[in-house]
This record gives sequence, structure tokens and C-alpha cells, in this order.
Amino acid sequence: MKLELGFIEIKDIQFSNECKVENGTLFVDAEAVKTFVYEDDDVKACVKSASFDIARPGESVRITPVKDVIEPRVKVEGPGGEFPGVIAKVDTVGSGRTHVLRGMAIVTAGKIVGFQEGIIDMTGPGAEYTPFSKLLNLVMVCEPVEGVHQHEYEHAVRIAGLRAATFVGELGRSVTPDEVKSFETYGIKEGIEKFPELPRVAYVHMLQSQGLLHDTYVYGVDAKRSLTTILYPTETMDGAIISGNCVSACDKNTTYHHQNNPVVADLFEQHGKTLNYVCNIITNENVYLADKQRSSDWSAKLCRLLDLDGVIVSQEGFGNPDTDLIMNTKKIEQMGVKTTIITDEYAGQDGKSQSLADADPLADAVVTGGNANEVIVLPPMEKVIGTLDYVDKIAGGHAGSLRPDGSIEAELQVITGATNEMGFNRLSAR
Amino acid sequence: MKNARDFLIVTNNPLLAQCMGDCYELSFFPDCSYREILVKVRDLVYAGHILYTHPLSGSVKPNETPYKSIAVSKAPHTFSAEQAGIIAECILAADKFPPRTRALGEAVKRDFQLIDYTLLAGALEFDAAAGLSKIKNHE
Amino acid sequence: MSYRVVHYINQFFANIGGEEMAHVAPELREGFVGPGLAFNQAWKGEAEIVATIVCGDSHFAEHEKEAKAQILAWVKEKKPDLFIAGPAFNAGRYGYACANVALAVKEELGIPVLTGMYEENPGADLKDKILIVPTANSAAGMRKAAPVMAKLALKLMKGEKLGASCEDGYMPNGVRVNFFEKERGSKRAVDMLLKKLADKPFTTEYPMPSFDRVAPNPAVKDLSHATVALCTSGGIVPKGNPDHIESSSASHYGEYCIKGVEKLTAETYETAHGGYDPVYANDDPNRVLPVDVMREFEREGRIGKLHDYFYTTVGNGTSVANAKKFAAEYAQKLLQAGVNAVIMTST
Repeated sequence: MKLELGFIEIKDIQFSNECKVENGTLFVDAEAVKTFVYEDDDVKACVKSASFDIARPGESVRITPVKDVIEPRVKVEGPGGEFPGVIAKVDTVGSGRTHVLRGMAIVTAGKIVGFQEGIIDMTGPGAEYTPFSKLLNLVMVCEPVEGVHQHEYEHAVRIAGLRAATFVGELGRSVTPDEVKSFETYGIKEGIEKFPELPRVAYVHMLQSQGLLHDTYVYGVDAKRSLTTILYPTETMDGAIISGNCVSACDKNTTYHHQNNPVVADLFEQHGKTLNYVCNIITNENVYLADKQRSSDWSAKLCRLLDLDGVIVSQEGFGNPDTDLIMNTKKIEQMGVKTTIITDEYAGQDGKSQSLADADPLADAVVTGGNANEVIVLPPMEKVIGTLDYVDKIAGGHAGSLRPDGSIEAELQVITGATNEMGFNRLSAR
Repeated sequence: MKNARDFLIVTNNPLLAQCMGDCYELSFFPDCSYREILVKVRDLVYAGHILYTHPLSGSVKPNETPYKSIAVSKAPHTFSAEQAGIIAECILAADKFPPRTRALGEAVKRDFQLIDYTLLAGALEFDAAAGLSKIKNHE
Repeated sequence: MSYRVVHYINQFFANIGGEEMAHVAPELREGFVGPGLAFNQAWKGEAEIVATIVCGDSHFAEHEKEAKAQILAWVKEKKPDLFIAGPAFNAGRYGYACANVALAVKEELGIPVLTGMYEENPGADLKDKILIVPTANSAAGMRKAAPVMAKLALKLMKGEKLGASCEDGYMPNGVRVNFFEKERGSKRAVDMLLKKLADKPFTTEYPMPSFDRVAPNPAVKDLSHATVALCTSGGIVPKGNPDHIESSSASHYGEYCIKGVEKLTAETYETAHGGYDPVYANDDPNRVLPVDVMREFEREGRIGKLHDYFYTTVGNGTSVANAKKFAAEYAQKLLQAGVNAVIMTST
């Protein structure tokens, strides 16, 4: 399957009476976005208000609490559309051509539950840790209709964000991209014939699937209801996986992370040179232990079935997923397939505790995204998009973490994407 | 398939007790801490009860939420060193997070209860919304 | 004003002599001696070695307590900003001395300390307690080690925040420290996998905690004819601790005959262990080493026989390497004596 991505570099965002992309500037009418977002019945029923703001790299701006980050894209050729099974129809994506508004994102923010998480600082020390400080962010702050259940509201805000991204992405349909890159993986036999000497490598992509506020959707299917299965890497790149995960800001994979999965990108970088990138294996992180056993058995089985030589395994979240990570790794290694895993660490504020809740000697090749418990002080920002009401309740923010001067003393956990377990960042630990 | 008749839920979550109490056998300890629930489950695992759900379900950290619910088998079977290992690692992992003394507001408590409840309901394939509407009807 | 440093070296690096001079007692000299020059040069006046303590390796090993006390007294008097020892490269007793003197200075005087040695040097066992810079296995590695140690030393003296072990060049010490890598994580993962696939060496960023789990042997089929031995790390010894097993960091184990002993009593046995409240163990040593119950089992025919000897040491801070060495040794004795099973008690 072959996918072309046409990258349109966005260098600025301006509110305007019209909506268009011109010379790298996105002109956007907030009212028009809102109208499109509200065409959905669930959004209408659950979201009381949605307001828009722009946060640019280097500005003294803090966005919190962040729910999701989404890259606006549009399918211009080939089957399917953006976010299949959720926004577009369920057709298989991953082929044809998609335009990407690169350098910007839609950020959804606002309270979902009383301990809502996630900070994006656009400048200062916190900005070093989140990849989203480098993007032009069109932020949509949502508020719930009173009395709406949290699970309904989470769904509505998730949809609202995806719709906003779809609307903005559409503006790139007829723009000539600044750069076009194509990505292609092959069928099993075809791949072996093309690269007979190269090791066969896949990506075992673990999806957060524990339940409310901890979900991931694949073509609209809740991942916890799915058996371990196979995707073309280009499907992942083309919006097949979206995030419903609102917890543990530092190591949750936002929709943006899925769209720009760095493991997929870096495996493609080596594809046909030093390795043969075969496919992605997606597996879940359920709470029920027998589900874990089944899913990890299936991961290992598929690795063997596909005659793989090596895999990269990435996880998402804290605690429970460590068990899935170790089960997957151990079983895949026992099949004779070599593994490298990506995780982050909870080694305590002093860095002295054991980093993972599970371990095995077969997991001998580990890449770490850093210790999420490390304490950081975030200086006050001139402007807050969203609200600071929840700061001292978010993961890693401790009592009194919001100081009178507006600075925040907290663990890295509070920063969206800080210790990403797909290896999105350069942060590490030893 | 999951055998609901074999589930014993160890919990300190009043919302879960309300929603699931008449469908499952519960050991409800409203005054126990998160850690104390883990320890109770550890002792059950030592006695041979099967651990059905992961003790650290949820990415909400052990020093954030006071609530924890875990499903084990009603009857003890044979001791599993592997399961004892899982629960022991979980207690160690929970102990890494320094305790917080912050008093939680009622609304936040309810949210934490809801998350804990829905995670366990999802794991046991129990209709979480139906459970909630049950208490709505009583109100 | 420059920072003050006291340097510790052995007889060899002080140019006194080799093994034949290893007996020399500690000696205090003003200024730098031998390898100290390399540090002074690297510090370019920012710091300076004000005194050098020289001690023979055998002397330290044989008179550790006295030597340590003398060295501590001198260090205290010199009021340094840092104590630096070695580097010891692969010299085992020198490494041991460097690490232990440094630990004493750190713990008792509260002065920052630093040493360096080869990773397999026994002194490196203390890498979680004091900062140790890894060096080559011979003195030829001085040119490489000196700048790393000097730089780290300055950082310690200035009270700067320590970077990750791979940044600041010390042996991983169990404390995880964040830092920014050159490449993002996914790229590092791909590179690591490619190395692993090509059977090339690679370094994991997070070594799994080593459990050193021992797979249990198959169950003894017939206990009623088995000879069972008791072993313990709980420190049970004949009253008076005849072999002077240390209350912590034990350097040896004891072998004691219990032939004809029906049970251990407070009059005849005690614990040498310094890591737990000894009252209950001393009151009834069977609580740690259950000779009484084993005799009962013997009489009831549940086991064939309790072995005539028990093996004991103190597990309090005893190095894993030592513990392994003890067990490997007495396991052979147990085998030769035809013992079929062992009950190992801990505390």
C-alpha cells in the first residue's frame, strides 16, 4: 500500500472573516469552525460552549487542561477520508494522497473530570519538554452542558476536536504542498522478493484500552474490544487510530502522536536500506488479566506467522501497561524474534525507585523517555488558555503545586507528551 | 468467557458498591486506603485466590485517587507465584508515589469513583451505564 | 581562592614500591604526589590538591579500622572541599581501599567524595553509595580518566546538580536522572534494534533490575529418607561468636556441628546479626534456625535426618559477590556429605 503525504508548511495562524491557507498562513473564521463542529448531535447535546484561541511558539502562554492534540489533514486522492469510522466513513485508508497542514495543531482543552490533566507551555522550561510548544496551536476550549455524564462529554469533546481538525484540514485540499513524500510497504511475498537480504521488522504498537478516559479507537472500534491485529503502517499515518485517552498527560499518545508516529517514521527511514518494514501489529492494554494473556499471545503468534526477525514495542501509560509490555516482549523474544522496547519511567522524585511495575531479563534492549516523577518548576505565563483550576489536582501536581505567583511546581507528569513512550522526544534518563 | 459467579470484588469505592453490589459478591472496605486494598488482595492471592484484574488498572496515579477495586476469584485455588509477583510489584510501584494530604472535594471524589468503577466494569464486561441508571432511579 | 582537595593513593602510585612495600602505614604529605599532578593540571588553578594521603594496600586490608580512623582524622584537619581517591584501575585491594575510605569520608565528615576504578574492581561494589568513574583496567587509562574525574570533581565542589551517569561519566548508581539525548527515542530504538539484529553490542538505556532468580530444583521425592541441612543468613552462631562473623558486611561464614543438639538455647547460641532487633532471636535461636522442629520431624520420620552441620552468615549489607562465594563453597561440602535438601532461613 502506498501513501503520499503532501506537506503544507503553516507559518502563521490568523483569525479572519474567511477561511483559507495562503502563502503558509492559515486564515480561519472561528465561527465557521464552530458551526461545523456543532453539526454533530453529540456535540450539540453535550458541549455548552466552544471558544477559540491561538498559541504561537515562544509566546508567554500556558494551555491547560489539554485533552487532545490533532493535526489537520485532508484526503485528496484515494479511498477513505480523515478519521475513518469516526468522522469519515469506515473505508480503509493508507493509500492515495493526503495533505497535511504541517507545523500546526488543533488542541482541545477544558475540564472533562475534576482532575483533568495536561499542560502545554509555549515558552520557558516547560516548553522544552512538550513537542507541542513548537507548533502553532489553534486551541478550542470546551465547556460541558450541566449534568452531562463524563463519558458522554469525553466522547463529544473528542468528536469536536476531530471535526475542527477536519474542517481546517479541508482548507489544504487545493493548496500545492511544499513537500511530497511517499511511503510504501509491500505484501509478504513481494517484500521478501524485493529485499531478500534485509531483516524483516515490524512495529508492535500497544494501544491504551483500559476504559473510560483511557481508550483508543481504531477505525472507530474501541481497542479493548479487539484482538491483536495487523495494519499497514500507512493506515496509522492516515488517521486510522485516534486517542480517547485523557489521563497521564506525559505519556498518553495524543491523536497527533498517532498521526505522526515516530516509530513508523523512523522505520520508514530505514525501509529498504537496512531493514524491511513489514507492518504494524496493534495490540491492547486491557485490565482483565486473561485479556492480557490472550493479546500478548497473539502478538507473539503474529510475529512468528509473519516470519519477523525483529520488532519495536511501544507502550502507553503507567502501571497496568507495564505488565502488557513485559508479556509482549517476553513472548516475542521466546518466539526467537528480537525486540527493542520504548517506555518511560516512574522512578520516584529522587530517581531511586524501580522504574517499571514489571520486568524481565529478556527485555534487554530498552529505550526510555525519561523519569516522569522528576520535579520541575514552571514559571508563570502572561496568558492562560483554559483554566488553572485543575492544576493542583492533575497527575504529579502535588498539594500547593500552584504557587501564589502563578508558577507551578510539579512532576513532569503534568506536561502533555513530556515522556512519550513512542519515542517522540529526545528526553531520556540514565 | 468470563464467569461472573466466580468474581469477588475487593473495593473501597462506594459508587461501585452501589452499582455492582447486587450483581457480584463484594468485599467492601469503605475505610481502607488504596494501598490497604492492594494489601488485602495480596493476602488473598497468597491464599490462592486468582487475580482477575490488574491491580494498577488506570493511569490515574495511586497517590491521586483514593479508590481501588480489584476482582479476584471467590474461592481459593492453588497459589500462583506469578500472580503473587504481579501484586507485589504493584504495591512497590504504588509506594513510589509520595502520599498527598490534600483534601479532595466531593465532585473530584465522585469523578475518581466513576473512573475506578468504569474501569472495573469494563474489565468484567458489566454495563457501567446500566449500573449508574440504577442508582439514578433510586434517587 | 581555589577549592581544596585531599587525594588518597597507595604505595605504588606514591612511588614507594610494589607489593613488597604494600605493608606501609598511612602517611600524610603536603601537596600532590604522583597522579595528583594530572588532576591539578586539569583544574587549572580552580582547585588544588592540598594534601596527599598514602597508604599501603596490605596495611589497609589488615588494619582497616585503624587506618580509616587515622585517614579520617587527617582529612578532617585539612578541611577539604572534596576527597578524591585513586583511580585504582584494576588493583583489587587498592580499589577496595579507595571506595571504603571515600565512603567513610562521605558518611562521617559529610565531604563530597569521588573515586575511579575499573568496572570489575571489587571496590566498584560501592558504586550505589559513592560516585565512581569507570576507568580502563590499567594505569595506562590515566590520561582518559583524569579529565573526566577532574571535571566531575569540580562540579561536586561547586555544588552543581549532577547530570545523568552517561553525561557526567560516573558508573550508574541506581539514581535515574533525566537528560536530553541527541536523537529522539524512536530513532534510538531503531538503531538499537538494528544492532541487536546484527549481533553487535548495544547498550540498553534501562537495565532491567537483576533478580538473579534461582530456578528451584525438582521436589525431593521421599523426604522420609532425605538428609536435610539448615543454613541461614540470620547470623545464628554458638554463643560468643567464636569465628567473629561481622554484624554487617560479613566477610566469611561459619560451619558448626549440631550433632546431638536437641534444640538451640539462649545459653548456647545467639545471633551475630546487626540488622534486626536481636532480642527474640537471642531469646530462642530456634526462631531463626529451627533445629527444634527439625528434630521433631526427624523423630516423626517426616525427614530422614537433620544434617550434623549448619552453615551460617550475616546477610546484613553483605555483598552479593561474597554471599555467592560462601554458598558455592559450602554447597560442595553439603554435596560431599550426601545432603539431599537444604532449608535456608533469612530474617
